[in-house]
Amino acid sequence: MLEVAIHKRFDGFRLDATFTAEHELVVLFGPSGAGKSLTLQAIAGILPPDAGSIVIDGQTVYSSGQQIDLPPQARRIGYVPQHYALFPHLTTEKNIGFGLIDLSQRERKQRVSELVALFGLHGLEQRRPQGLSGGQQQRVALARALAMQPRLLLLDEPFAALDVNLRQALRQELAQVQARSGITVLMVTHDLNDAFAIGQRVIVYDAGQVIQQGTREDVFFRPATRRVAEFVGTRNILPAVVERNEGQTLWLRWQEHPLAALATSLKPGTPVYVCIRPTQVLLVPPERRDEKERENLFSGSIVSEQMLSETYILQLRLDQSEAAYDLEITLPGYVYHRLALERQKRVTIELRRQTLHVIPREDGKGR
Amino acid sequence: MARKLAFQESAKSRLISLPMVLLLIPIVLVSGFLTLPLIAIFLKVLPQEGLWETLHRPLVTEALRLSLVTSLSSLVLALLCGTPVAYLLARYRFSGAALLDTLIDLPMVLPPTVAGVALLMAFGRRGILGTWLNVVGFQISFTTVAVVLAQSFVSAPFYIRAARAGFQSVDQELERVAYTLGYSPLRTFLRVTVPLSLPALLGGAVMAWARALGEFGATIMFAGNLIGRTQTMPLAIYTAMESDLTAALVLSAILILVSFSVLLCVRLLLHRSPFGAYA
Repeated sequence: MLEVAIHKRFDGFRLDATFTAEHELVVLFGPSGAGKSLTLQAIAGILPPDAGSIVIDGQTVYSSGQQIDLPPQARRIGYVPQHYALFPHLTTEKNIGFGLIDLSQRERKQRVSELVALFGLHGLEQRRPQGLSGGQQQRVALARALAMQPRLLLLDEPFAALDVNLRQALRQELAQVQARSGITVLMVTHDLNDAFAIGQRVIVYDAGQVIQQGTREDVFFRPATRRVAEFVGTRNILPAVVERNEGQTLWLRWQEHPLAALATSLKPGTPVYVCIRPTQVLLVPPERRDEKERENLFSGSIVSEQMLSETYILQLRLDQSEAAYDLEITLPGYVYHRLALERQKRVTIELRRQTLHVIPREDGKGR
Repeated sequence: MARKLAFQESAKSRLISLPMVLLLIPIVLVSGFLTLPLIAIFLKVLPQEGLWETLHRPLVTEALRLSLVTSLSSLVLALLCGTPVAYLLARYRFSGAALLDTLIDLPMVLPPTVAGVALLMAFGRRGILGTWLNVVGFQISFTTVAVVLAQSFVSAPFYIRAARAGFQSVDQELERVAYTLGYSPLRTFLRVTVPLSLPALLGGAVMAWARALGEFGATIMFAGNLIGRTQTMPLAIYTAMESDLTAALVLSAILILVSFSVLLCVRLLLHRSPFGAYA
């Protein structure tokens, strides 16, 4: 288990990062310049915080209160910076074995060849980093960090320099590395797809502060604030007001329409945001409109559409609405074609209450 | 391959164009100006009689030995004291860094005779520090030690400057990664920083050594011109010019050959290194 609570002041910037992580793949997610990389450096021991504590599996490696500050050499943390920082004067083999200074020549050779096999680097042992592709460099950097069997692995934007296909492969590889070693892997990214694809736990950063942390589902489907909702690509953040709580139902008013959501403790009159991800907006075929158990039905027309390989992104304007559009909908190509949306632009949608996530509007104002 | 040849072809045809011909004139002038004096020395020295005997004259042998000993000593001194200073300047920002920087550059622009006078005022028999050293029985001025000091004073800045630039060109992220892999700062310096800045360090060392070998002004002011003790090759050449032209020419030819081959060696070394781009 990793427990981090660090504070550091810079010129015009304050870093206050507090979070915990189990032995899992953890993603530090947020825009560039939010303090994610600084957090990694502080944990690795190469950037001293002003105050706070860092505890890894029960061992305090930093504590301003107890005057503990282990040097990076004594922390046993694998650190892979952005662009990997491979030693340009050393071969793949020497790079991977670099941290194995306490082992005998034979043991070192043994361990290096294990890692070469593990990461599929056969035939590249004698190459220097400049002769390797981006994906190969990344594997060498991972192997180098894992060689000394760290108890924690820190990765700064590991996929930033790689193309999409390679990303997919290396995400899986990284998940396997975590599963095999069973250590905490902390990965910094500002890429939503990376975070979504492999983060078992997601820690959301904004302007030096941790603004939410939780399981991937928590963060993506139940963002705590409007800001987090924006970061995680919620797209539909609808300003509404609480009308009343009625048994299992929370009645809201969105634009002049009543909207049923799951009951909460919010008081009538509270301004809120209703979040729904574009993939969760249901399109209802006309003939099934009148089925029982339908709720939150709206009709409108598609005002713009965009095709991203197999996926369609539609913008929907409700009837009687004057906005450019009211909702964004993402749906797979086969649904688009089955509903004949290439001809039929008038549609009915359903917003299921389980998919609506209601957050109080902290500023109390509408959009 | 064919493409490369085509490129060379077109480069060749472009060389004959008028602007290129005009450009050729200064190239010929400059290279002629630089090589003619050097060739002249060899043209004059080779027909001289008794070259072999001249090589064995004490004036020549003593100057050779002394120059070798003192220039290498001052190089070692520059490496030992200059390396930490260069690293400090490259890696840390501290108050007084700019001042230290300027101080280090100063000997490079100072006339060597001024350096000699300054050294005399500091370490001479009646100098600020020299007075005290004299009391405890040390005398520096007009000894071989003074030669080494004079050479170090004027040559060390060449090494420090080059080393600082070399250290700065090494990505600090590499050093940090080495720390996380268990390397102490010293070990990191020796295994990461030094190998990666080696071309710059080598280049700086050679420049400093060459400057020490050629040192004249500061040496003659601070150390004097005593055969076997302070008369290095440049001083010996100066002395011999009045009485023994052959010796002067022989010593000059030796200095030219040594300088040329050292520069050539460094070029080749750097070219073979995979980090030639850093140099």
